[in-house]
Amino acid sequence: MSYGKYVLRKGLWYLLTFFIATTLVFIIPRLIPGNPISAIVAQMGSGVPSESMQRVYESFIRDYGLDKPVVLQYIDYMKNLFHGELGISFSLYPKGVTEIIGEALPWTLALQIPAILVGWILGNLLGAYAAYKRGKFDKVLFPVSLLVSAMPYYVLAILMQYIFGVYLGWFPPSGGYSMSAFPSFTFDFMVDILSHYTLPFVSLVAVTIGSQAIGMREMSIYELNTDYVNYSRMLGLEDRKIVSYIFRNAMLPQITGLAISFGTMVGGSIITEIVFGYPGIGTWLFNAIRQNDYPLIQGIVLVITITVLFANFFLDIMYGFLDPRIKAGEMEEG
Amino acid sequence: MMLEVKDLSASYVLPEGEIRAVDDVSFSVDEGEILGIAGESGCGKSTLAFSISFLFPPPLRHVGGSVLFNGKDLKNFNDRELRKEILGTKISYVPQSSMNSLNPTRRVKDIAFDIFRAHMDISEKEMYERAKERLDLLSLPESVLNMYSVELSGGMKQRVVIALSTLLGPELLIADEPTSALDVSSQRIVLKELKKLFKDGVFKSMIIISHELIILKHLAHRIAIMYAGELVEVGETERIFKEPLHPYTKALIGSVLEPGKRVEREKIPSLPGAPPDLREKITWCRFYDRCPFADEKCKRKQELVERDGRLVRCERGKDI
Amino acid sequence: MNLKKRAGALNKKLLIGAIIFFVILIVSFAYPPFSKRDPLEMEGMMFEPPSSLYPLGTDNFGRDVLTELIFGTKTSITIGFIAGSIATLIGTTIGVFAGYCGGNTDNILNTITNIFLVIPPILILIVISVSIQSRSILIMSLILGITSWPWTARAIRAQAQSLRNREHIKMAKLNGESLAEIIAFEVLPYLASYIVMAFILQVSTGILNEAAMSMLGLGPTDTVSLGTMLEWALLFESARIGAWWAFIPPGLAITMITFSLYLANSGMDEIVNPRLRGVV
Ligand SMILES: Nc1ncnc2c1ncn2[C@@H]1O[C@H](COP(=O)(O)OP(=O)(O)O)[C@@H](O)[C@H]1O
Ligand SMILES: [Mg+2]
Repeated sequence: MSYGKYVLRKGLWYLLTFFIATTLVFIIPRLIPGNPISAIVAQMGSGVPSESMQRVYESFIRDYGLDKPVVLQYIDYMKNLFHGELGISFSLYPKGVTEIIGEALPWTLALQIPAILVGWILGNLLGAYAAYKRGKFDKVLFPVSLLVSAMPYYVLAILMQYIFGVYLGWFPPSGGYSMSAFPSFTFDFMVDILSHYTLPFVSLVAVTIGSQAIGMREMSIYELNTDYVNYSRMLGLEDRKIVSYIFRNAMLPQITGLAISFGTMVGGSIITEIVFGYPGIGTWLFNAIRQNDYPLIQGIVLVITITVLFANFFLDIMYGFLDPRIKAGEMEEG
Repeated sequence: MMLEVKDLSASYVLPEGEIRAVDDVSFSVDEGEILGIAGESGCGKSTLAFSISFLFPPPLRHVGGSVLFNGKDLKNFNDRELRKEILGTKISYVPQSSMNSLNPTRRVKDIAFDIFRAHMDISEKEMYERAKERLDLLSLPESVLNMYSVELSGGMKQRVVIALSTLLGPELLIADEPTSALDVSSQRIVLKELKKLFKDGVFKSMIIISHELIILKHLAHRIAIMYAGELVEVGETERIFKEPLHPYTKALIGSVLEPGKRVEREKIPSLPGAPPDLREKITWCRFYDRCPFADEKCKRKQELVERDGRLVRCERGKDI
Repeated sequence: MNLKKRAGALNKKLLIGAIIFFVILIVSFAYPPFSKRDPLEMEGMMFEPPSSLYPLGTDNFGRDVLTELIFGTKTSITIGFIAGSIATLIGTTIGVFAGYCGGNTDNILNTITNIFLVIPPILILIVISVSIQSRSILIMSLILGITSWPWTARAIRAQAQSLRNREHIKMAKLNGESLAEIIAFEVLPYLASYIVMAFILQVSTGILNEAAMSMLGLGPTDTVSLGTMLEWALLFESARIGAWWAFIPPGLAITMITFSLYLANSGMDEIVNPRLRGVV
C-alpha cells in the first residue's frame, strides 16, 4: 500500500467519523424525552415568561427549522454546519455562536497546543529514561507518576491555583488578562498575559507528562527486550546508539497514543480552563451550560469534535510518514 | 586455540527462582574449525552462545567459569570494551531470532553504517561500497540496502543478517539456528552461503547451533551435544553419527529426518518425556528419566570423560 | 518456597492498592446509616474553618464537609461501580466477539470501536446530559457507562484475538461446541484477569467522569457526590477565598481512590505480564 493510499483511506475514515459524530450531536437530544429542544417548543405553545425570551426562542425555532420534519431539520443542520453557521446564542442574543467561538478559540489553542507538545516531549523523555535506568530512578518515578496521573487534572488545577495563585500569590489565580490591562501589543500587556498563562499551562503540562511518561516507560521496556536491541548489542553497538533506536521506535506508538488520548485530554482542558476562568471555549461551555444556552453548547461541542478529528487525522498522517511498516502495509490502523 | 570456554555457568535470575541454563560447560574451537552444537529446544544452546560474549544482560547472570578468546580472558573486559573491541569485529553473531533482528524503522544501509561507525572511522562512501560487496557475496542485490526489514522475505532477512554480522570480517561467527525459521529451500541456500563465506575466509571459525542434528552433518567438523544445560558428548562429526556413545545422542540421531529421504513415521524411535526443569538441581544423570538404559548406577553424578578420543557424560556408554 | 516468594513479590502493588480502596469503601458505606448528620443540611455559616464541631469545616451552604465527604464518597463509588460494570459489560461483549469471531464481524465492530475512541467521550456525555434535566445516581451511572466502553473493547479484542488459534479452542470447535459454549467455557475464563483489570480501570473512569461532569454543571442532581462538592467549591470560588477545606478533602478522596485502583490494576498487570515486573 502506498503512502498516498494510506492517506486517502485515513481521510475517508475520518470523514465517516465526522458524519457519525455530528449526526449523534443532532440525534441524541431529539431522542430523549424532555430534551431542551422540545422543551423550548413546548414552552412556546404555553406562553413564555418574557417577550424578549419569546423573540429568542422564535429565532431559534426558525434557525433550526424546528417546525419542519426531522429529516429536513437534519439536512438544514448539515448545510449550516458546512457553512459555519452555528445559530444565535440565547444568553448573548443576538450574538452568533460562530462569532463567540471565533473569539474564544484562539485562547484555547494557544493554551492547549504548546501544553500538549511540551508535556508530550518531556513525558516521553522521562519515560524512556526511567525504562532504560530501571533502577532507583524508575522506582521513584513510577509511583510518583502514578500518583500524579491518578490525581485528576481538575484537582491538580485547583491545588495549583490555591498554592501558587492564592497562598503564595506568585501568579494571578484566574482570568486570561487583568481587567485593568488594556489589550495591546505592549510589553506590559504581554507580561500580564504570560503571568495569567503560567498556571493553566503548567497544570496541563504536568498532567500530560504523567500519562505520557507511563506509556513511554512501558513501550520502552517492551522495545528494550526486542530482538533487534539484543542483536545491536551483540554487534557491539554503543548504548547511546541503542537508546536512540529504542527511543525512536517506542515513540511511534506514542504518536498514536497521543491521538487517542486527545479524547480524555479534551475533558481535562475544558475543566482546567473553567478552574482558572481562562477565556477559552471551555469556560464558555461552562457558562452556556449554566444558562441553558443550547445553541452555544451545541456549537462548542461541534467545534471541539471537529478540532479533535483534525488533530487525529494529522497525527495519523505523520505516523504513516514516520513508520516504514505502514508503507509496507504490514500494520493495520487502530 | 581460538576460543576456549572453561567451566562456564550462567543463570537467569528471576523473582520466582534461578534457571541454570548453562551448567559447567567446557569446550574449545580451533582456528579454521566449525563446531556444531545440537540439543532439544530449551536445553540452553542460545544461552551458551550468548554467554560467550560475556555481556550477561539481566536477568542473565554469570555464575562461574571463563571464556578465553585468543588467550585473552573476556572477564577482564568491561561492557564498553567488549562491545568496542570484541563484538562485531572478533566475535560476531547470527542470532536465533534473525527474523526480528533488524530494527524495523531503519534501512539495511543505515544499520550497516551504524555497525561500521561503532568500530571504525571510514567514509560513508566506503561503508556503502563494503556493505554492497558483502551483500553481493550473499547473492543479494544492491537495492536491498535501501529496504526496510518489512520489505524483505524470510530467506532474504536471514541472509541480510548474515551479511551484517560478517560485515567486519569477524574471526569467529556464532550462528544460532540460522535455518530453523526458514522453509526447506531457503534452508539449503543459507547453509550453502555460510559454507561459501567460510571457504572464502570471511570468517575463520564458526559455531553453528541447531536443534536438528542433521543440519550440522555436512557442515561441522566437530559436534557438541547439549542436554539440560550440560554438554553430554563432544566428538568429530563422522564418529558421532556413526557410533554415538551417549544414549541421548543416539536418540537424537534416531529421531532425525533426513531431508529428501522419505522416512516412515513409525520407524523413527521417538524420545518420550521432556527434559528436566532447569530450576531443579539434579546431581545425577539428567537424562535418567528418559533413558531406556538407565539403572541404579546412573543415580550418581556423571562426569564428562574422554573415551575413544571423544568426551562423553555416561559411564554406561560402553555397555549399551 | 518459590510460590510463596512469587506471591509476596506480586502482591505488593495489588495489596497496597486493595487495602487503600477497601478502607475507603468500608468507611464510606458503613458510616452513613449511623450518621446523625444529614449531608445536605445547612447547619453552619458559609465556609467555616475546621473546628471541633465541624472537623473539616463547612462549605458554601454551611454544610458539614466531613459528613458530605463520607456520603459523597459513597455516591461516587456507587456511580463508579455501576458505570464501570456497564462499560465493562459492553466493552467485553464487543471485544470478545470482534476478537474471537474475526472476519467481517471484527471489521464492523472494530470500526465502530475506533470511531468512538476518537470522538471524545466527554462531548457525548455533555450532549446526553444536557438533554436530561433530572439525573439520579442510576441515570448518571448509565450515561457514564454507555459512553466509556471503547477502551475496554479495544483491550479485550486484542486478547481475544490471541486466543483464537489456541489448541483448546480448535478442539472445542472440532467437538462441535456452539459459539456461545466456546465463548463461555473456552474464551472468557482465559480473559478473566483482563476483564477484571478493565473493570478496575472503568470504575475509576466512572468516578473521574462523574466529577468532571459535575464540575461542568451536569452531575447528579439532589445528592452529594465528590463531584458536586468540587462543583460548589468551584462555583463559590473557595480556592480564591482560601477555604481549602472545601476542595482539598474531595480532591484528595478522588485522588486516593483512583490511585488505589491504578495501583491494583498495575499489580495485576504484572502478575499477568511478568515482563513488566522489575527484574533485579
Ligand atoms: N530471557 C529469559 N528469561 C528467563 N528464562 C530464559 C530466558 N531465555 C531463556 N530462558 C530459559 O533458559 C533455558 C534455555 O533457553 P535457551 O538458551 O533459549 O535454549 P535453546 O536455545 O537451547 O532452545 C530455557 O529453559 C528457557 O526457558
Ligand atoms: Mg535457542
